[in-house]
Amino acid sequence: MSVESKMRKILPGLTSRRSSVLLPYLLIAPLLLFIGGLAIYPTVLTFVKSFFIVNPISPPQRFAGLANYTALFSDTEVIWSWVNTALYVVIGVLVSTLLALVMAIGLWKQFPGRAVVLAILVLPWALPGITEGIIWAWIYDPSFGVLNSVLHSLHLISHYHLWISGNRLASIFFIELVQIWQMTPLSAILILASLQSIPLDLYDAAAVDGAGRWETLRRITLPLIRPGIAIAVVESFIISLNIFDQVYVLNGSSTTASSVMLETYNITFQTLNFGQGYAMSFMAVLVTMLVCLGLLKVIYRKVEF
Amino acid sequence: MKRYNLGQKAIIAFVCVWSLFPIYWALNTSLMSNENAQSRPAHFFPFPVYLSNYKSLFSASDLWPDFSRALLNTVIECVAATVVTIIVAVLASYAFARLQFRFKSTIFYVVLATLSLPIYATLIPLYQIMNQFHLVNTYTGVVLVYTSGFLPLSMWIMYNYFITIPRELEEAAFVDGATPVAVLLRIMLPLALPGITSAAIITFLLAWAQFIFPLVLTSDNSTQPLTVFMTGLLGRHTVPFTLMNATGILSIVVPVVIVIFLNRYIISGILAGSIK
Repeated sequence: MSVESKMRKILPGLTSRRSSVLLPYLLIAPLLLFIGGLAIYPTVLTFVKSFFIVNPISPPQRFAGLANYTALFSDTEVIWSWVNTALYVVIGVLVSTLLALVMAIGLWKQFPGRAVVLAILVLPWALPGITEGIIWAWIYDPSFGVLNSVLHSLHLISHYHLWISGNRLASIFFIELVQIWQMTPLSAILILASLQSIPLDLYDAAAVDGAGRWETLRRITLPLIRPGIAIAVVESFIISLNIFDQVYVLNGSSTTASSVMLETYNITFQTLNFGQGYAMSFMAVLVTMLVCLGLLKVIYRKVEF
Repeated sequence: MKRYNLGQKAIIAFVCVWSLFPIYWALNTSLMSNENAQSRPAHFFPFPVYLSNYKSLFSASDLWPDFSRALLNTVIECVAATVVTIIVAVLASYAFARLQFRFKSTIFYVVLATLSLPIYATLIPLYQIMNQFHLVNTYTGVVLVYTSGFLPLSMWIMYNYFITIPRELEEAAFVDGATPVAVLLRIMLPLALPGITSAAIITFLLAWAQFIFPLVLTSDNSTQPLTVFMTGLLGRHTVPFTLMNATGILSIVVPVVIVIFLNRYIISGILAGSIK
């Protein structure tokens, strides 16, 4: 018996054409249950509970006004986590977008073995952040890491360095580099797709007009791939604002390079101060929404060929 | 176009080294004894090849019980989350792509808007909800959370695939008296298979990489996936880095195989999931 006739037996009303008024709602019902119950409702909870004292050890929860927020702003560790995360985001978005742009331009034209190179390009994106943290922790190792070894052999450094957990900015850069390794493929694929949508006759026209390589890149290519770059910037912004796995593995118990997500995790699940965790989370949600809207407005202009 | 060649070659070489070197380095380290790995300058080839790191992961008296359990948990959670996500997303995206109903565009945009919700929005409430329903430390809890997170993306990828399928085929079937459900199962599903494959692969890979949600939702090895197992191992100071690298290599075998053989689906999925 085919699946369809089975379904007709079980759900006679479903398969008749008269049911077509109800059918769409039945088809989207499971989606709405998941999205409503496990995405939208939790988001509302995050907002509401950020104004309550929520501590699983001393229930019940009670209204606290803005107390969670004011407590967070007087905590220097929390404030540093925001500063650090701003640095993660700026470094992450800038470096990954620039790298992705260069990679996309290099992989734009056909060449033998291009499918293989594209698979190699995508590889770091497909791996767990935790594994990447473990792999890079050994690369960065202050005593035996290959980064130290290579730089030392090339006489670029005179002694082995501690890359992480010393200087704040350096720690953030080297931890973010691991995340850049993971998210650059995504940006590169997005930009590559924009490049491939440019009509090639535009370049023939530019060549006829005697435009040079740089001029062609600046005047034709870059403006036309603006939408691809915009999406890449927004994606890398959201990913780096959520940085957690790499910091968790590479920064260890030190607070030097702590991120907002790590701080939220510690406040909530280590200190068990859920109310403050909610407040921290809600601020991060607000920042995400505002910056995304702003970014899209600034960079996303309609492109016409 | 010939003059681009040198720059193009340099970039291709850079992409290969950039993507592959860290993975090669982990493999290299995992095949070394501790003494060999701790040499200055570093050794670029793992000779003599040393298999003890892998042996301790595969030996029943050592790490195998915990490691195999974590691997099994990862596989169960990823497969279940992928299957549930795909079924729910296929039904909904077909309705959005083909059927007319009230509030369709409002519901559609609300679902899409949840695509941009950061982890912050749901992490703590989902823990509290799962705790309330006694779903902490259960596969069900993990799978429900993964599914709710990956659904909007899968729905969007499939929706974008469904709308490229010409309507003539379905209309012919409707004329022959087929019902919408029959059309979905017999005509749309086979045609949309590449889109469904893309969504399934991306969902599976995202689930495989999860860390913070299982960290919060699982507290013992009955449901902890590989990522949580690995950070636990990292916390034991007796575990040498050569062994950590061996565990890391084993944790990426499945994603690496998927990328090697199914990369075109990943790329088309990423593009269908983000453009517009």
